[in-house]
Amino acid sequence: MSANSVKTASGYLPLLRFDRSVARKELRWSGLGGSGKGRRAVAGWDEDALTMAVEAARLAIGEATPEGVTFASTSSPFVDRSMAGLVAEALHLPPALATQDTGGSRRAATSALIRALSGTGTELVAAGEKRRATAGTTQIMAFGDGAGAVSVGPGAGIATCLATVTINADLLDIVTTTERGTPYESEARFVRDEAVSEVYVPGITAALDKAGLTGADIALAVVPEPVGGTYRAVAKLTGLTAPNLCEEIAAAAGDLGAAMPIFGLALALDRAKPGERVLVAGFGNGCDILVFEVTGAGDRSATDALGQGAVLSSLSRFLNLAGALVLDWGPRAEVNQKVSASTLLRHGRDMHGFVGGRDAGGNVQFPKTPVPVRPDATGPEAYEDVVLRDVPGRVASITADRLNFTPDPPFYFGLVQFENGARVTMEHCDVEGPTPEVGESVRMRFRIKAMDRQRQFRTYFWKAAPLTRPSLTEEG
Amino acid sequence: MATGIKDKVVLLGMGLTEFGERWNMSSDDLMVEAFTEALADAGIEKSAIEAAWLGAALDDVNIGNSAIPLATALRLQNIPVTRVENMCATGTEALRGAVYAVAAGAVDVALALGVEKLKDTGFGGLPIKTKGLANDLWMPYGSAPGTFAQLAGAYRARHGISYEDLKRGMAHVSWKSHQNGALAPKAHLRKPVDMDTILNAPMIADPLGLYDCCGVSDGAACAIVTTPEKARALGKALEDLVAVKAMQICTSHGWENAYGEWDGASVRNTQIAARRAYDEAGIRNQKADIGVAEVHDCFSITELVTMEDLGLSDAGRGAYDFLDGVYDRDGAIPAQVDGGLKCFGHPVGASGLRMAYEVYAQLTDRAGQRQLRDVNFGLTHNLGGQPSNSVSSVSIFGRL
Repeated sequence: MSANSVKTASGYLPLLRFDRSVARKELRWSGLGGSGKGRRAVAGWDEDALTMAVEAARLAIGEATPEGVTFASTSSPFVDRSMAGLVAEALHLPPALATQDTGGSRRAATSALIRALSGTGTELVAAGEKRRATAGTTQIMAFGDGAGAVSVGPGAGIATCLATVTINADLLDIVTTTERGTPYESEARFVRDEAVSEVYVPGITAALDKAGLTGADIALAVVPEPVGGTYRAVAKLTGLTAPNLCEEIAAAAGDLGAAMPIFGLALALDRAKPGERVLVAGFGNGCDILVFEVTGAGDRSATDALGQGAVLSSLSRFLNLAGALVLDWGPRAEVNQKVSASTLLRHGRDMHGFVGGRDAGGNVQFPKTPVPVRPDATGPEAYEDVVLRDVPGRVASITADRLNFTPDPPFYFGLVQFENGARVTMEHCDVEGPTPEVGESVRMRFRIKAMDRQRQFRTYFWKAAPLTRPSLTEEG
Repeated sequence: MATGIKDKVVLLGMGLTEFGERWNMSSDDLMVEAFTEALADAGIEKSAIEAAWLGAALDDVNIGNSAIPLATALRLQNIPVTRVENMCATGTEALRGAVYAVAAGAVDVALALGVEKLKDTGFGGLPIKTKGLANDLWMPYGSAPGTFAQLAGAYRARHGISYEDLKRGMAHVSWKSHQNGALAPKAHLRKPVDMDTILNAPMIADPLGLYDCCGVSDGAACAIVTTPEKARALGKALEDLVAVKAMQICTSHGWENAYGEWDGASVRNTQIAARRAYDEAGIRNQKADIGVAEVHDCFSITELVTMEDLGLSDAGRGAYDFLDGVYDRDGAIPAQVDGGLKCFGHPVGASGLRMAYEVYAQLTDRAGQRQLRDVNFGLTHNLGGQPSNSVSSVSIFGRL
């Protein structure tokens, strides 16, 4: 049994779900349309592995301040910039914090979780994926964008880890090089057979033995499948009888890569009863197996994320959002958005954390300025930090701008009035229906602010989103 | 104690180029064209000009930094030449510099010239500018239509006007300007447009359709100013002199977009600048006294809200006043008689001076087919930036 327990686990999915049947229909002429079954989650143009991990992490962390933050992804937007550090800044955590970025395998998050569970300190593991794939491949339909986050620490939590096992095997079901940038796949039957015999069966068998359990003792399984049918074969050989939540997630949102097992754990904790056991696997060049005993309830964020969203029925818009379609947006898209590193260092912490300030007169403003905006302020004042990301807001003014360049028109922006008195002119995101009306409630989302396409750099800030998302059940 | 600007300075001469897509004209060409007309109108030699102000807003597609391009284009020898920039109030700022210099007694004759060469961008609409390296980290890159469209939703929420009524009121704003622009020989857009075309135009920034937006143009405008005494000494008849009655500018300090009391349905800077301008000019009843208004109609909703901010329409009545014809050329307060930004064009640095040119033409009975009767005071107004973060100018001109 591990020293640490799971304190919280959360899942996040982007708003859009691409209906795979659209691709099957549109690409029928080529035979590259895939099975056409189910949907996949599609990140907005302004979402990446980091932003989605932040969204999951803010759910998981609540008001707590962990001693360490790990960011796990195989699609990190930066090679040599600490995403864990930006997760910490976005959550307004103190600078003196252990941070670690991990990738290199879709097991990145489960491997990080195993290490965190074996430690004695509090840690947040946040995983996000927005994996690129080329149009026509199996992966572009199978992948999904999303994130999961789990916090661990000493003492009682919502799940206790009974056993962990790691199996290493250089099985190349898909492989993505930095030069190629998109995955190359091996033959499906080879992958399934070897994933079963060389990876999952040895790992799961060893983990069950270590926990003193049989396959039938597991109530819910979270086993990512490199190829459909993998779990069915594994279950036969290991005695597992539990439903595999990854099949459900893959059908509704896609394969979330490194985030899949964390999202799945969050979903399992929503459904399992205390005392039940959950088996969670990470897959990629081997596997990580974790067996948990449930001691509490999940936060239902993964359940909500699966059930809410907006269906995307345009193949070209999907391909554009997935980075698999090159559109020439013309001269108006040629905006020089070069970022100054010194400016970013000076202001980045307040931008990423959405930190405003309360002045001596009690007024809250963003950003902080030497002399407060309060009309009776006569000179520079000190501020108390006020984080705006969770403060309720409403639309004070807004428009859908069709002249300004955005990779996914129109460009929504306007003035947001916060409940604590702050007001900020900001961009809106996740608007799929009519333009929001003045007075409508909004919530904040951490997003890409600007893409410097010339230098392939991006900045991050917060955007206003509708307070709630539509139900996918009602939408059908 | 300060006594204001009223009647201390007169417009000695003015010049204006044709606005539009001046593909064959450089910024230098435009400056020379406007200046040549102004100089002839003033009836002086170039050497009489003792100081000059240049208004140019978008340096990256125009003439670059500094006032040197003006001094070079006009070969203004050995005098102080200053460039000013205050977004869409740039042209008015240039005039204000020249007027203040004369009023202060620093010089007898001063020049103000605004120029913009926007059509060399290679695309429609204004260039997209950085808002400063730190601001770019969080401020949206909204287009100009997008920033002004914000007024519409907030206006509807405040006054309870329906989307359809507001759209019709806005459409009349543009319809009226197209009617007027057709009578202005130097205007960019000289074709009348019917209401259905305006109402059914493609959406640019909800609820602003294509015809709710002014285009961008090339052009230059110029004013030569002096004291009334100097003008008389130069042989100008008293009845021909147009005096500056008021020039007021008000600039946002963050109250609208960061403090939390502004409802987004009006522009406070315009309200403040207007109140000060009326006081400076001694105008007590603006609805009766203003005979012609050239306001910053960058977008139809801007003009509609501006008329309320100027106190020419009551709050919430702007759309209905437009639909009732109050601001038509034959209405109670003719506005945008030359077509305004909407149709005459909007070369940003020149626009404030273009407005003054039309008022000057009306007050000196030189407006041709557009000539109005019994105009005693003319008002010009610029609104730079965006409603939530703006520079607003209100100027009043009249006979001595």
